Amino acid sequence: MDDFLVIDRVSKSFGSQRVVEEVSLTIARGEAFSLLGPSGCGKTTLLRMIAGFEQPEHGRILLGGRDITHLPPERRPVNTVFQNYAIFPHLTVWDNVAFGLRMEGRSREETRLEVERMLELVRLSAHAKKMPVHLSGGQRQRVALARALVKRPEVLLLDEPLAALDLKLRQHMLAELSSLHAQVGATFIYVTHDQGEALSLSNRVAVLNEGRVEQIGTPEEVYESPSSKFTAAFIGDTNFLTGTTVSAPHEGCVHVRVDGIDGSPWIVTHRLPQVLGQTVRLMVRPEKIHLSPQSAAVNEGMNFFSGIIDEVAYFGPHTRYRIRAGVHAITAQIQHGQPGSTLARGDQVRVSFHPDSARVMGMEVGG
Amino acid sequence: MKRSRIPVLLTWGVIAFLFAPLLVLVVNSFNASRFGGAWEGFTWRWYQQLQHADDLWQSLALTLEIALAASFASMVLGTLAAYVLHRYRSRLQSAHSILITLPLFMPDILMGISLLSLFVLGGVETGVLTIWIAHVTFCLGFVTMVVLGRLQDFDFTLLDAARDLGATRARAVRLVLLPLLFPGVLAGGLLAFTLSLDDYVITFFVSGPGSTTLPLRVAGMMRTSRSLPVINALSTLLIIVTFVLATFSFRLHRRA
Amino acid sequence: MRKSLRAGSVQWLLTLPSLAWLGVFFVIPCALVLLTAFRPADVYGGVGRGWTTENLTVLRDPAFVSVLWRTVWVSAVTTLACLALALPVSLHMARCGPRQRQWLLLLIVIPFLSNFLIRVFAWKSLLHPEGPLTRMLAGLGILTEHATLLNHVGTVLLLMIYTQLPFAILPLYAAAEKFDLTLLDAARDLGAGPWCAFVQIFVPGVRRGLLSAAVMVFVCSLGQYVIPQFVGGVYDEMFGNQISRRVFAERNLPQACVLAGALMLAVIVPMLASALWQRLARREAAP
Repeated sequence: MDDFLVIDRVSKSFGSQRVVEEVSLTIARGEAFSLLGPSGCGKTTLLRMIAGFEQPEHGRILLGGRDITHLPPERRPVNTVFQNYAIFPHLTVWDNVAFGLRMEGRSREETRLEVERMLELVRLSAHAKKMPVHLSGGQRQRVALARALVKRPEVLLLDEPLAALDLKLRQHMLAELSSLHAQVGATFIYVTHDQGEALSLSNRVAVLNEGRVEQIGTPEEVYESPSSKFTAAFIGDTNFLTGTTVSAPHEGCVHVRVDGIDGSPWIVTHRLPQVLGQTVRLMVRPEKIHLSPQSAAVNEGMNFFSGIIDEVAYFGPHTRYRIRAGVHAITAQIQHGQPGSTLARGDQVRVSFHPDSARVMGMEVGG
Repeated sequence: MKRSRIPVLLTWGVIAFLFAPLLVLVVNSFNASRFGGAWEGFTWRWYQQLQHADDLWQSLALTLEIALAASFASMVLGTLAAYVLHRYRSRLQSAHSILITLPLFMPDILMGISLLSLFVLGGVETGVLTIWIAHVTFCLGFVTMVVLGRLQDFDFTLLDAARDLGATRARAVRLVLLPLLFPGVLAGGLLAFTLSLDDYVITFFVSGPGSTTLPLRVAGMMRTSRSLPVINALSTLLIIVTFVLATFSFRLHRRA
Repeated sequence: MRKSLRAGSVQWLLTLPSLAWLGVFFVIPCALVLLTAFRPADVYGGVGRGWTTENLTVLRDPAFVSVLWRTVWVSAVTTLACLALALPVSLHMARCGPRQRQWLLLLIVIPFLSNFLIRVFAWKSLLHPEGPLTRMLAGLGILTEHATLLNHVGTVLLLMIYTQLPFAILPLYAAAEKFDLTLLDAARDLGAGPWCAFVQIFVPGVRRGLLSAAVMVFVCSLGQYVIPQFVGGVYDEMFGNQISRRVFAERNLPQACVLAGALMLAVIVPMLASALWQRLARREAAP
């Protein structure tokens, strides 16, 4: 991986509040990267520092080996799609897209060709003469995209690009952004608080919390193997159970006892060296849990225990159950057509999960 | 649920109340009666007399000159004041904001007498210049408020966007902020223009010989009851002009 | 450090023009009024040397006390009448669509863009003894044959209300525009009648606008002197007439300054106090 955009131990405070704390990231050329986190985690500030609207107090930002930390925004090969799109209301669609080229002093003919090409790419050619007030939300977003992309930026920053759109349009634009990224080939950096967006749009995700990077990895990595409780809880739903490691039958495998549930100790696949007798946090995603009638036979090698269904919520493609097992409450999500998708409140069930689908993490990580 | 009709009726009642005297004035400008009482037939006579009322036209010209100069100066000062009030949060701006708003709540007569005291004690001869100063002083707050309102609606990420697309700070202000702010500045200027045109009380205090503005002239004519129908004719023309100006500024206000 | 220093001086530089202008042409003149009140008048209508408290005796003149009382009650009645009219009007405007709303606003503002004196003059001809209104009222038997609508304290009130009405409507409209109208529907839904919803929900909802409208109208009315001068009777003088008479007829600027200074303190002190109070309240509200 080449080090195209390097964020090197960057910190930023507003007043006495530290919003970005020693953040280091390396992003490759052409990558689609997401900064994911709840509001106030510092992701927007980080984006604004890459764009040049804010200056870090400490640390450097390098682009293609060049230090751009103190370069003003107009001199960076970086362009932004703003959260509210920031379309100039007094200029037509055409003039909005041409704005950046005019700033570069490009020739009239060149500007015309580039703008036309770009409007075609985002399918707005028919609206070129319109004023922004007459555009729909989706069209405004495409103007913002065209306006930034026409400058052929090396890095395109997108601040919550889908937040202002309704659900239907959001799904459509999700696909559109991915194909645009493939066509343009620039580095895309998304800022979002929506895990679904981050996972589907990007090659890699950085999860931020309180100004720090919690985890960096591919969508699969951060979803399947969260390194902290925060990441696990923020990305998708998770069952957390506190237990103790009791034995390690062989390499990469550990037995965990969870108090208050019959059937444990359970066996869990685990890659990291584990100290026995340690208190750990066991994590299982709701969709990894299987439910079967109490009487049914259990597959060999599965962990299982029994419980009572407390709550049923029907979601169309799947159903969510809340199951009481001893003193614990477990959430399970069952696809329709799967076994156990038609249970009712009060049913006795056998709850099972595969050793590979559970994760064990130490208590101290992520609080 | 039925809504009360009282607010609707009252609104139109109030509008009728506001327009009634103006209507009488316009009608009377075509009334042959010298004292504007009963209708004594249609006439153009007052408009003909108005054509030759040189002193009135001179006063009007002077009033317009002062109004133009005063609204221009207050536009510049007010826009700058609105910008800093919006841009900075500091002790200085708290004091500044109180200083800007106080004159808005000051009775005209106090503004007049205080400026008169300044000019008398400072040995400044009252005249066109002192009227201009007074007008800029009382227009400043109004312009600032109008521009400030516009600034508060302005989306400052547009400036970020312009810089992101390669504009320098100065170019972003010139190409994005100013064009979007201009209708507000102009609306403030028009407000100042009409306020200046209209002012009688303050002008009366700080005017001198040879600086008789139109309101002063009209007041003189009212006091001496001289050629009153001519005032009607002139007023009718002025009402038409203000109507046009107001509609124009209204359009400006709405477009942006 | 250096950067913040520079930002500070830029702020000062940009604030200076308006600050200096208002300092020289507003603050200093106001201070001069208060100072001149303690100067003797000279015989030529100017301001003499030395200091004196003699001018202050004008405040104890019994004739002046009755003028003061009239000024206060005329201003109070004007304020109440303007608010009573402006509240329902602003409610109606808030209920209209944006387009109609702006046209109504324009209709209300336009009469006030024409010259103030011309409007006074228009009222004079409307209320003229031979004018349409007097004739109509006489015809209906409401007025006796030779009664006049002019030169009466009622006429002064009518014109004061007429002149001040937009200063009540505009701030109230600004407040009503931001008022959530569904609150009125909610009140009706919960069993309130239209009047009850208006008084208990709308009026408190626009209280900020109500306050600034009341202050604006009351304060401007206190200083009014042109209306009593042109349409009032001999006995309808107000505070402002006393000031202007001393400036222009008696040419006694120091005595005029005593009256103006008293009015100024009566206007500025409560306003500064309320501004300060609001600031303190805001600071307390902030964490």
